[in-house]
Amino acid sequence: MSIGKRTIEDYIVDLLCYSILLVVVFVTLYPFYFVIINSLNEGMDAARGGIYLWPRRFTLENYAEFFNDPKWMDALFVTVARTIIGTPLTVFFTCMVAYGLSHKNLIFKKTYFVLFVFSMYFSGGLVPYYVVLRSLGLLNNFLVYIIPWALNTFFLFVATAFFRDLPQEMIESGYIDGAGDMKIYFRIVIPVSMPLIATMLLFIGVTQWNSWFDAAYFVRYDHLRTLGYRMIEVINQSLAPADAQAALLLAGSRRITPLSLQMAAMIVATAPIIFVYPFLQKHFIKGMMLGSVKG
Amino acid sequence: MKLNLMTGDLMMTDLSVFRVNQGKKRNSLLLQLKKQYMIQLFVLCGIAFLVVFNYTPMFGILIAFKDYSITDGVSGMFTAPWNGFAHFLEFFNDHMFWVVVGNTLAISLLKILFTFPAPIILALVLNEITITPLKRFAQTVSYLPHFISWVIVAGIAGSFFSQTRGVVNEILLQMNIIENPLAILIEPQYFWGLAVGTEVWKATGWWSIIFLAAIAGVDPTLYEAAQMDGAGRLKRIWHITLPSIKGAIVVVLVLSIGNLLGGGIGGSNFEQSMLLGNVINSPRSEIIQTYAFRIAMVEGRFDYGAAITFIQSVVSVVLIFSSNHIMKRISGSSLF
Repeated sequence: MSIGKRTIEDYIVDLLCYSILLVVVFVTLYPFYFVIINSLNEGMDAARGGIYLWPRRFTLENYAEFFNDPKWMDALFVTVARTIIGTPLTVFFTCMVAYGLSHKNLIFKKTYFVLFVFSMYFSGGLVPYYVVLRSLGLLNNFLVYIIPWALNTFFLFVATAFFRDLPQEMIESGYIDGAGDMKIYFRIVIPVSMPLIATMLLFIGVTQWNSWFDAAYFVRYDHLRTLGYRMIEVINQSLAPADAQAALLLAGSRRITPLSLQMAAMIVATAPIIFVYPFLQKHFIKGMMLGSVKG
Repeated sequence: MKLNLMTGDLMMTDLSVFRVNQGKKRNSLLLQLKKQYMIQLFVLCGIAFLVVFNYTPMFGILIAFKDYSITDGVSGMFTAPWNGFAHFLEFFNDHMFWVVVGNTLAISLLKILFTFPAPIILALVLNEITITPLKRFAQTVSYLPHFISWVIVAGIAGSFFSQTRGVVNEILLQMNIIENPLAILIEPQYFWGLAVGTEVWKATGWWSIIFLAAIAGVDPTLYEAAQMDGAGRLKRIWHITLPSIKGAIVVVLVLSIGNLLGGGIGGSNFEQSMLLGNVINSPRSEIIQTYAFRIAMVEGRFDYGAAITFIQSVVSVVLIFSSNHIMKRISGSSLF
């Protein structure tokens, strides 16, 4: 950012910037590191405290316990299922509606827009929503994790802006070749919209993966609970004093505590996200900028 | 929709009203509809979804003005007896009214105060870094917390701030700053700090993306010219970089204020209060949303809960439109 000679001020500002950055990176990463080393440490030993830099008594049994626990494995299965099924469905449906909205000569466009925008700010509240879910038979049903999520209004607008910015000639050439709207959508528009789709898959996928509220309040069957929900269960337990935890020893093991199991669960829940998001960085940064006027 | 990050104008472009009867016959409207029936179908699927999941529940707002119980079912929403504004008056006279409203406002305002400057500063700092791999690494790391759910954050906070053997307490004890461990997770006086602190940790990196994008749009020759005129680094940042993100600042500020009752830019108040709140710190952690939630789901008073939620929705809508208007007056740019 500076040309010519570097002044004293330059060095001071640089020092300040690098220091701030160092602090930011450390403060962001350390909590994750902390959870990782605690998950790799024997639970009973961890309860004595002092594990800050590396595991004192290394063990993989927390993870073994996690993968052997039917409650956690059910939750993992449900969470993976809803993410794999729900995410593409939502992306597909939302993009479809957005493509329609982006059409240049859409009749009733203003009305449609008003309807969508209004629904973003105003809602009937949780209880009527619950009643609607009930009458649709979605309560206690795996589909409650999929269907009510099918349309994402935020991404609806992002996608609409994106489609509108596509070069019109592309679409027109499709018409000229005699293709119908559906064909144009699938054969021409979608292949070109990969950055948008990648962004949406990431964000909606993360939302699905992390969700816990619907698992808590719209579902009663134990085997339909998600990872997020199980996490809350354990957290409520573990916010109790450590000595009380020691008393809650899991059957068959005197070294695993609910807390150490929770640590392993947190890593399993977070790891997929950590591995995926850096690769899609380019896309979602662009995605945040979708629809903005280039300076 | 176009968002101009430099000036902050968010414009709904292309809201062309359909042309009718401009010397054309009525039939042409039907003809046009027929031509674009597939497109219309695409949109109508979305509308149908809205009707089912958004607009039907809106009828539920009715129960805020009625004497309704869940046993009345869906039809009960229409047939239950009216009681006008009784529930609203009850809320204003509720002994928890000042507590929940106070907490909601305090947490939201504190969040705006602290989570607002942080992304801006981070963006400015990142912009000054010239070693690209380092910059890329720091950026990537900084938005990691955004993707982590609040449940996990609560879990991490549970270990970090624990009274027994928590990292934070251990460090403070070692450095002799305190004599006894602080019950950060339990006692009321820490909740606000906890909520704001975790929010800063989680949201800063993510929001810095917006500001970085705006900064990237600045013409580099401006910096060179300023340097020729003898402006140092800090002066250049103050006079060139900051004003260039005025638009982005306005956008984020309006969004934050509009979401005041929901909590900061991301609307995280509810999740935080649900996850980190407990019976003991509830004098500081209970907010309007969690209170309404408990009233409805725990106490079963759905009509009263609906009234509280309704008040909140209305206030939020008023807030976002008025904050947008005020911003327009003050700075010339606005959200819409």
